[in-house]
Amino acid sequence: MNRPNMSKRMASGIVSGMLLAVFSLGAQQAAPPVDSKAKTGTIGLYRNQQLAPNAPAPKLADGTPDLSGVWLGSGGNSADIANPKGLKSGDQVVMLPWAEDVVKNRLSKQDPEANCLPAGIPRGSPYPWRIVQTPTHYFILFEGNIHSFRQIFMNGKHPDDPDPTWFGHSIGHWEGNTLVVDTVGFNDKFWFDYKGHPHTEKLHTIERFTRTDLGHMAMEVTIDDPGTYAKPFTTVGSAVLMPGTELLEYICQENNQDLQKLEGPARGPGGQ
Amino acid sequence: MRPVLSIAIVCALWSASALPALAHHSGAAEFDSHKKIDLTGVVTKVEWTNPHAHFYIDVKDAGGTVVNWNLELASPNVLIRNGWHRNSIKPGDTVSVTGVQAKDSSSYGSAGVITFPDGHKLTFLSGDEPAK
Repeated sequence: MNRPNMSKRMASGIVSGMLLAVFSLGAQQAAPPVDSKAKTGTIGLYRNQQLAPNAPAPKLADGTPDLSGVWLGSGGNSADIANPKGLKSGDQVVMLPWAEDVVKNRLSKQDPEANCLPAGIPRGSPYPWRIVQTPTHYFILFEGNIHSFRQIFMNGKHPDDPDPTWFGHSIGHWEGNTLVVDTVGFNDKFWFDYKGHPHTEKLHTIERFTRTDLGHMAMEVTIDDPGTYAKPFTTVGSAVLMPGTELLEYICQENNQDLQKLEGPARGPGGQ
Repeated sequence: MRPVLSIAIVCALWSASALPALAHHSGAAEFDSHKKIDLTGVVTKVEWTNPHAHFYIDVKDAGGTVVNWNLELASPNVLIRNGWHRNSIKPGDTVSVTGVQAKDSSSYGSAGVITFPDGHKLTFLSGDEPAK
């Protein structure tokens, strides 16, 4: 999904879908104030969703920013990571020649996401995710794609030679109100987007999560992979809180009939 | 009955590209936006599964031959949040379906709007129940 378009859809849905309704809040780690007259609107694909009230970003009892909740969004443009609309102003995605060849030749049916494999970082999906904070570990629980999780070791250290994995080895720390997550130890299997932008095991990402108010998260991801790109670049994205929903089950592998029907080159969901 | 506004929004989203640009894969790689389908038949099976729900309908052509069409919906997690229920469409229901056909021209398509004999409609995303 093209994230800028998704953002526009979110915005237009929120404006156009102002229907009053009564919703019960889900059992969240730190639930926002109950508002029985909460406004509702469309968030991403989801209509009549409870919208977060206008309120400041919450904090835990010890003063740590509280990022918990169910969110929808991602840190970059999942249709095409090189789309300037999803990049920090002035940044460019400059591929090494081998990577350009790979992107030209990849097929939609080869996309790990279409094969129900993890999306890696920072690729998003149309499905929500939840952040859970404990004193030592933060977790990101993904409804899809796929029903997987990330763990972030707070104030931890990377292993000297981590085994390559889909989500890598993540350590986190706070810089003011921003959670900074440093990840290495990726495998080279996931694609950054539907277009098939690749990476190597040299990939190093630095994510920045900033809850700007109760209902919104700003996200940036610096991508440094000297094996694939001539210089680092930073993607920008955002997420919206979904205070009225819980994560649901999404087991992608159970009936993936689509794969055998996919034809042609790797491309975005709408053909872009 | 769902709000007219909501179904209008969902229909607009769906038809913006005429493709289900909502999935875990490229809709453009699977369906041909130029191959519109408009089918009427009886539901034979419903699969409330991921990454997409499917329902199957028997459609009789002009010559009397029955073809079983496999029609795709969004995933259950998306459908549930938009007011679908696993029994919103059931075997035995007679429905009319508009949507787009798979690029391989098989009897496989993406369901855009599903119309029931009493006139109520469901879409690739939007159901009857209050959204969760």
